Amino acid sequence: MAVPVNVPASPVRPVSARHFVRLKLRVMGNNFRGQGWRVALFLVGSLVGLWFAVGGFFGLAAPGLAGDDRYALLVAAFGGGLAVLGWLLLPLVFFGVDETLDPARFALLPLPRRTLVKGLFAAALVSVPTLAMLVALSGLVVTAGMFGGWSAALVAAVGVILGLLVCVASARAVTSAFATMLRSRRVRDLAAVLLAVLAALLGPLQIVGLAALQDADWDAFTRVATVVGWTPFGAPWTAGIDMAQGRVWAVPLKLLIAVVTIAALLAWWSRSLESAMVGAASAGPARAKPGLTGGVVAQLFPRAAGWLQRDRFGAMVAREARYWWRDARRRANLITIAVVGLFVPVMVNLGGQGFTIDSEQGFNPVGETSPVLVSLSMLFVGLLAAVTLANQFGFDGSAYAANVVAGVPGRLELRARMTAFSLYVLPMLAVVAVVVALVIGEPTWIGFMAGALVATYGAGLAVNSFISVLGAYSLPETSNPFAMNSGAGVVKGLLTLLAMVATGAIGVPMVIAAALLGDAWLWLGLPLGVAYGVGAALLGAYLAGDVLDRRQPELLAMVTPRR
Amino acid sequence: MRVAYASGMISGSFAGWWERWSGPDTVGYMTGEHPALALRGLAKRFDSKIAVAGVDLDVPAGSFYGLLGPNGAGKTTTLSMAVGLLRPDAGSAWVLGRDVWTDPVEAKQLLGVMPDGVRLFDRLSGGELLAYHGLLRGMDPAVVDQRAAELLDVLALADAGRTLVVDYSAGMKKKIGLACALLHGPRLLVLDEPFEAVDPVSAALIRDILQRYVAGGGTVVFSSHVMEVVQRLCSHVAILAEGIIKRVGTLEQVRGDRSLEEVFVEVVGGRTATGEELAWLSR
Repeated sequence: MAVPVNVPASPVRPVSARHFVRLKLRVMGNNFRGQGWRVALFLVGSLVGLWFAVGGFFGLAAPGLAGDDRYALLVAAFGGGLAVLGWLLLPLVFFGVDETLDPARFALLPLPRRTLVKGLFAAALVSVPTLAMLVALSGLVVTAGMFGGWSAALVAAVGVILGLLVCVASARAVTSAFATMLRSRRVRDLAAVLLAVLAALLGPLQIVGLAALQDADWDAFTRVATVVGWTPFGAPWTAGIDMAQGRVWAVPLKLLIAVVTIAALLAWWSRSLESAMVGAASAGPARAKPGLTGGVVAQLFPRAAGWLQRDRFGAMVAREARYWWRDARRRANLITIAVVGLFVPVMVNLGGQGFTIDSEQGFNPVGETSPVLVSLSMLFVGLLAAVTLANQFGFDGSAYAANVVAGVPGRLELRARMTAFSLYVLPMLAVVAVVVALVIGEPTWIGFMAGALVATYGAGLAVNSFISVLGAYSLPETSNPFAMNSGAGVVKGLLTLLAMVATGAIGVPMVIAAALLGDAWLWLGLPLGVAYGVGAALLGAYLAGDVLDRRQPELLAMVTPRR
Repeated sequence: MRVAYASGMISGSFAGWWERWSGPDTVGYMTGEHPALALRGLAKRFDSKIAVAGVDLDVPAGSFYGLLGPNGAGKTTTLSMAVGLLRPDAGSAWVLGRDVWTDPVEAKQLLGVMPDGVRLFDRLSGGELLAYHGLLRGMDPAVVDQRAAELLDVLALADAGRTLVVDYSAGMKKKIGLACALLHGPRLLVLDEPFEAVDPVSAALIRDILQRYVAGGGTVVFSSHVMEVVQRLCSHVAILAEGIIKRVGTLEQVRGDRSLEEVFVEVVGGRTATGEELAWLSR
């Protein structure tokens, strides 16, 4: 017997983007409720954003204000292009995207994908970074207006808004696509390579740019800017300048490029969004893997950790080591360290010609790389690696309860976490030291480079032990490794900054030693650096462990996502 | 068929290994004068909401204790404070005479906990997770191997092999959580909603194991809002609503000559639909 299906009497009201925006604002507002410190952090974040926005505004408006129309195209093409590049890459490498509205939450609602994408896109536009970008890039409108009057200003304004849409759409599309890719283990290697290539692009670009700067060949520069202006990176930004400089025919074409780019990005996002929604609901059928050879204890310990004692410490190291690989969020961090750790030092030290401006006042007027510059770049890599642990308990989320229930001593806990992370990072750092030393043609420097790396890394472990115990925050339980809670962005940024500054301060003796000790440092660097790093890490675990012992339940509450 | 098979497994092996686990040194705890769990004036406030407003509770050793309450009554908050997961604003908790908040190491050794709504380290396989919990409790690796194998076998999780716990079904997750709580042979087992989202087969298995655990001298405290299970299993019951213990005592004392559900609904003050509302449901 067929039961007649009752169509609801009231017509279904269409869902528009407005609903998503209001939902996002409501969720953000509720996140602040009763959490004074979150409001404060949000305000601080907004002020920092405003600071950069105003700086960017005057930078981009400078040609207009100075009345020098030679640089107008340059500033628009490169400034805007950098903005797009930043939106494209920074979420991948550092910040993550704000997933206040997690797409997976909408999976059960009868929404057409079109509506969903439009809505999520509109909601994504409502954020502090977007507003800051809008303020900064309005500088272009001023420039265009100064040269071309109202009509040019109007075109520039349309261009800036389209450009902003390109920025946000590219950030969303890329992180969404990457989240899907990284979740599937088969393509994780591909993802790593892709990230590496993207990061690698920064290097040559910088070298080319700096070389051009030095030659001050403005014509060549303008030619590059003209080309960039015809790519999606520069098209929306340069339309206003074209109008002002009389190339009216270019305006509709460039705006069209921008619109097509936005449409393409949204289409791409829409496709990966679907798999993100489905993937979050079910990661596929659970495959029973054969196994159970040997005891369960033997299973727990990965081969690289096989030398560990089968005790509490060993178990925690083994579990952490497994997690650094199996948890997509952690794995994304490891990949970032590997890529940035290799490319930044190579860039900094190979781009030596470009850095002569800096080093002329400094230690090496020849323009070649120097022990100090190398030590500085090693310092950066070391602290970047360690800062990954700034929210190490946040990775665990509520699962950390198991350790609280078992009453694990804080010092043991922190030492185990450091050891497990170092199983991955120390080999990477060794590779960094060797590769960079070979690339810059100074193989004898390997020793003190590795010393500086280990020293800063150890100092960073100590600093981040404290940060992770005192400033932990919860991560959303989604499978998107780039997702963060709204509001956590500012926390994360500030804590990361704090950790990096503190680590850098502790690591500076290695740079000073490299400057003062000369050839002796070639031999002393490694043993002293390693001793310094290991000592700092152990001291950090000792002191922070004490704090952890007193705060275990509080820490658990901090890392447990609010539901 | 499946149930019979599983029960057979238990009667065959479970009783045996349970006695082997609880050696003579733990007998003192079972028969000692201390209650298995004692709570005094436990209170917790979240922002403006008072979640638990002063709970006193004595769980006699060897009892099967059901903590009943509607959603949001404060069951999870109370149990979290009792086992050291959530610091109370006021009050204290003792496990077999050891203060959970001033002497956590001693207390936590006697305690097995299965929290609800808390993730396991779910990117480990079931076996790996058990090994982790065992070693974390300072157990001998050989003992961990042997007990884990038995638990996986009894709980019918051995087939899952190296599947990660994150890919387990809800019932399997409950079972592996129970196994983690049991592994080190605790004297008191605190379980938050052990029967939530569990299929009847797994529920029967969990019930069977818990009954044997209590028969062997252990004490179980669990929270639930499923009257039928509580009525079947528990020797003692406490009804918690709005952060306060409303009724407490043995099952017979609380229930009187009525059904537990009647008492519960009356105490909690629920309502039943009169039929006037929701008319559109029956179109």
